Amino acid sequence: MEHQEDNQSQTRWSRRDFLSRSLAGAVLGISGYWAWRRFLSGGLSRLLVREETAETFIARAPRYRMDLASLILQGLKELGIGPQEVRGKRILLKPNLVESIAGAEHINTHPLVVRAAVEAFLHLGAGRVLVAEGVGHRRDSLLVLEESGLADVLFEDRIPFVDLNVDPVYTLANARGATCLATLTFPETLRQVDWIVSLAKMKTHHWAGVTLSMKNLFGVMPGRYYGWPKNVLHLAGIEGSILDINAALKPHLALVDGILGMEGDGPIMGTPKAAGVLVMGRNLPAVDATCARIMGIDPWRIRYLAGAAESRLGPIQESNIRQRGETIASVRTPFGLIEAIPAHRDISL
Amino acid sequence: MTDQLATAYLETVRARALSPQGGFALQAGGSFQVDATAWAVLALKALGQGAALLDAARARLAAQQLADGRVILSPEHPETFWPTPLAILAWHRAPAQREAQARAVRFLLATAGRHWPRGKDNTFLHDPSIKGWPWIAETHSWVEPTALAVMALKITGYGEHARVKEAIRLLLDRQLPGGGWNYGNTKVFNQELFPFPESTGMALNALRGDARPEEIQKSLAYLKSGVRKVRTPLALGWGLLGLAAWGEEPREAPAWTSECLGRQEKYGPYDTASLSVLCLAARAPQGLASIFKE
Repeated sequence: MEHQEDNQSQTRWSRRDFLSRSLAGAVLGISGYWAWRRFLSGGLSRLLVREETAETFIARAPRYRMDLASLILQGLKELGIGPQEVRGKRILLKPNLVESIAGAEHINTHPLVVRAAVEAFLHLGAGRVLVAEGVGHRRDSLLVLEESGLADVLFEDRIPFVDLNVDPVYTLANARGATCLATLTFPETLRQVDWIVSLAKMKTHHWAGVTLSMKNLFGVMPGRYYGWPKNVLHLAGIEGSILDINAALKPHLALVDGILGMEGDGPIMGTPKAAGVLVMGRNLPAVDATCARIMGIDPWRIRYLAGAAESRLGPIQESNIRQRGETIASVRTPFGLIEAIPAHRDISL
Repeated sequence: MTDQLATAYLETVRARALSPQGGFALQAGGSFQVDATAWAVLALKALGQGAALLDAARARLAAQQLADGRVILSPEHPETFWPTPLAILAWHRAPAQREAQARAVRFLLATAGRHWPRGKDNTFLHDPSIKGWPWIAETHSWVEPTALAVMALKITGYGEHARVKEAIRLLLDRQLPGGGWNYGNTKVFNQELFPFPESTGMALNALRGDARPEEIQKSLAYLKSGVRKVRTPLALGWGLLGLAAWGEEPREAPAWTSECLGRQEKYGPYDTASLSVLCLAARAPQGLASIFKE
């Protein structure tokens, strides 16, 4: 009995003890959480992933009405892509066309960037260059081409366009398996070309954080098999779907139109944001990580980019990406994020 | 549509008809497509032409039907059942496909997409618990497949069925606050999205006779203005059908249709489904359902 009382007196806390220890615990917890968010988000992959290296090229491009084809050619040269590699190849350019509002230049890949990319590849001796997209929200692809201004460019330059929503298809087993999807169904045109080039737009995204060259490849999935919107992929998980599609397609090049991007509630309802850059590279995760840093966003906090690094689709660690052309710091243009959007929280650098 | 344009349409789709197996391709030299076939059947019916092609096309659609009644893009993809309402419309009053049509109707009535109770957050404005129909099995309900299913079920006498009434409620719920419809989201993160003429036209056709004029007034106003700006076949065709369903077809419709057809010189031949919708718009004075009037 006596012993028992003694024990009780040893473990009994005063109100002051309790408050001070609770406060210390809370401070420790918050500090730990902050440190985890700041340095270890993206899981432990930031510390543990052994990445390959890649190169990206950043070109300063303050406006659309300039010699963009020369800039792209310069970028290709810096990336070691010359006539020997391109000659005779069939090149598919996949722009970002989701919806359109006549005259709005911040939603879709700009037609003059598409034209410049076509010119650059033809200059290097490409056998055929075509533009292909499976518009994500609208059934009338032709209207999106018209309203985005791309129809005129395609018509004037006689560039073929393939509507991937209505193309014949082929189906592959989903080897990467980041989602529960057993198979992936792709448009036949994709396997009739030598190179797939993701011609993306630099935008924030209200589900994925950012949409750049990897997310842009969502658009190749045919609406006839995935819906308008591509709801099969949404329900399977956007981040996992991005990884599965990229792992299956193994695209050859990314070119991101950041001349006029979109901040805030992207990919449609956000506001124009001029970053004045084109970003290119052979490795899509590396290009997207560079774009994210230009936008003031930590690529390790974009789940599909962290996933890309983990699954060795490409490097996203800054030290593993050799930067050609401009430096990230010299063109950094923080994009506005919206706190009410969960995918935007705590992703800033 | 003038007889001259009807003749041009017939010439085009005859070149895309598949023989001897029946059905139509999206373009000349292409392979069979379920939706192209169903839309061509409807346009030919509206024109009162191509009887021999119609029978073969309807039979080919029946070959795409599974035992449970769904009509699919291909046997490898049974989840792609969105052509089912199109087939119901294409088979309407065709004696040889009466049983196939009845099975397709039963399938639609027994099938819904993925739905869930409305949450407390304001990510989406629309009510996700209301059942309509999805594009693909096990996904959410969207405007176009729901509108087509409503039209197909109404034309076959199921206009008073609880599923149709619920789907009409869904369409009204997915109407944008400022008027019009898009693929099926209204507000996301508190931002109102943009309407599309093609989605608006479909929804207005489905709602004909089931919505009060004041409920769709803003959408009609949007479409009256929006359709003036579009000259592509799908958006213009559905835009005109939407206005026609509510007695608002503009006087300039024939001129716009001709202008739209003329753009094929620039863009190349339109696909069969889009061209057929445009043709139907010229032959359906009170909306799509009016082509079935005796």
